[in-house]
Amino acid sequence: MSNADSHAHDDHHDDHGLSHVASAKTLLATGGTLLVLTIVTVLATKIDFGANINLAIAMVIAVTKATLVILFFMHLRYDKLFHTVVFTSAVLAAALFVGFTLMDTSQYQQTNIWNNQSPPLAPVGPHAPTG
Amino acid sequence: MSAAHEPHSAEHGGHDDHHGSPFIQHHYDDAQHQFDSGKLGIWLFLAQEVLFFSALFVAYILFRVHHGEMYSYAHKWLQVKFGAINTAVLIFSSLTAAWAVRAAQRGEKNLLIACIAVTIGCALTFLGIKYIEYNHKVHEHILFGKYFDPCVSPGGSELLTKHNDCAGTKSTIEWSKANGAIDLDTGNATKGCFSVADLDLDPHTPGVQADCEVSEVQGEGGTGAGRAITARCPEEKVGESAGEGEGGHEGHAEAPHFPCWRPAYQPAVCPDLTKPDAKLAGVGSQPQVGILVEYGDDQEREGISIKATCKKPGKPAEGVDAGASTGGGGLGHKAIAPVHELTTHEEHELESLGPPPPNTNMFFSIYFAMTGLHGVHVLVGVFVFIWLLIRAVKGQFTPDYFGPVDYAALYWHIVDLIWIFLFPLLYLIH
Repeated sequence: MSNADSHAHDDHHDDHGLSHVASAKTLLATGGTLLVLTIVTVLATKIDFGANINLAIAMVIAVTKATLVILFFMHLRYDKLFHTVVFTSAVLAAALFVGFTLMDTSQYQQTNIWNNQSPPLAPVGPHAPTG
Repeated sequence: MSAAHEPHSAEHGGHDDHHGSPFIQHHYDDAQHQFDSGKLGIWLFLAQEVLFFSALFVAYILFRVHHGEMYSYAHKWLQVKFGAINTAVLIFSSLTAAWAVRAAQRGEKNLLIACIAVTIGCALTFLGIKYIEYNHKVHEHILFGKYFDPCVSPGGSELLTKHNDCAGTKSTIEWSKANGAIDLDTGNATKGCFSVADLDLDPHTPGVQADCEVSEVQGEGGTGAGRAITARCPEEKVGESAGEGEGGHEGHAEAPHFPCWRPAYQPAVCPDLTKPDAKLAGVGSQPQVGILVEYGDDQEREGISIKATCKKPGKPAEGVDAGASTGGGGLGHKAIAPVHELTTHEEHELESLGPPPPNTNMFFSIYFAMTGLHGVHVLVGVFVFIWLLIRAVKGQFTPDYFGPVDYAALYWHIVDLIWIFLFPLLYLIH
């Protein structure tokens, strides 16, 4: 089985291993890139580009890191397409979840749970406490 | 599949097509069928995990969109150092987990054992660092919901509440909301609070003292029960650097006789969220006047509540610093020096930011929900990898049977993946 690497893209798994064997180089390069990106994202926070751009940079780096993990550590690049479909559907469903919830939120009154500057107004109506 | 297989066990003897590992179940066509079924299963589970965590990400995003200010304030309580180390630890463990799969596929037993062991070690390191972080927050009451009661006051002075017993304090302040508030009109100790307008003081002025003539301060309960605390704390200079908490007393010529008391102005940072009516009326979030008692390092302070009585106040002595040892007359205005040593750079920054914005406790509700759920996943991962380690030592993983290693590694990568997002979202807010 020591020559399993050479059959990495073999569609017929019958003879040479059950799935793709990641090469040492790929794993090390992925791990190294992830660590470098971690340092980059920490350093990027120290520079003020404006709150939104800082957030965008952090998210771009996070998505890049996530993609590297998925493609190489999780072998999705070499795996069956159906696994990609399963995982991508979950991410899309999560995106819909966030998107639709955000569309809806301005329909509700703000609730002050903890505000020392402007305490909520005294309640009025039949259920208001009488003092 | 000719190499490195285990001898057939008796119950598999009838399935000659299932050559290789005895763990290949007879209801599968072959090793490939079993592996692919398991792999589909774990990918469906991972999809479920994404949806599972997405609920918390929705909460995070909604609060960030609507209450961005609490994120830019509260993230300073989190230490980037710990988050970054944990990110690196998880990435490295992800690498070793991926390498474990490779080793299993290539039939390298010792390398497989080593990779699994390192992964477990990394997971435990992660949990250890998380424990340090959580422990700090529990100690400082930087917690979720109504347990959010941190040691921060406006304008750079530190005033602890009765709930706080913060690390690094040289003295503890007892603040009794029930007994310690002093009605400026009647001079009696009352329950409840005072509005800023009544005091005519700026709540953002550091350590402003109320004008109130305190006649008696007594400890109740504990070992100091019934003992009058007569000593006044020595005067402290206005504008002393808040960061030099230790020097507040030591730099002074007059050594304090602990326990001593001083009148105190309670800034509006610690509302009592336990009382729904108080929360509704907003009274808990008003500044209060009270007594601040400082104890020596070794003095018993558990279970003592402070009772103070207050005479009718004199007119505010504008800009007059009354002598600390006189014990009478208008107290004027003076600063409360910090008694709590801030432990992180970020917390020092918080000092200059004033009180936390509204709903800041929600940040920590979200923080603990997200990192807590993630931590539970790490903990589960530890047990899974221990199980794999035992099986690997027994030599049960072979090139034709390594599914469990692959599936566990995939699970571990998704745990890493979630942390890759949690780290910038919680720790790296600009």
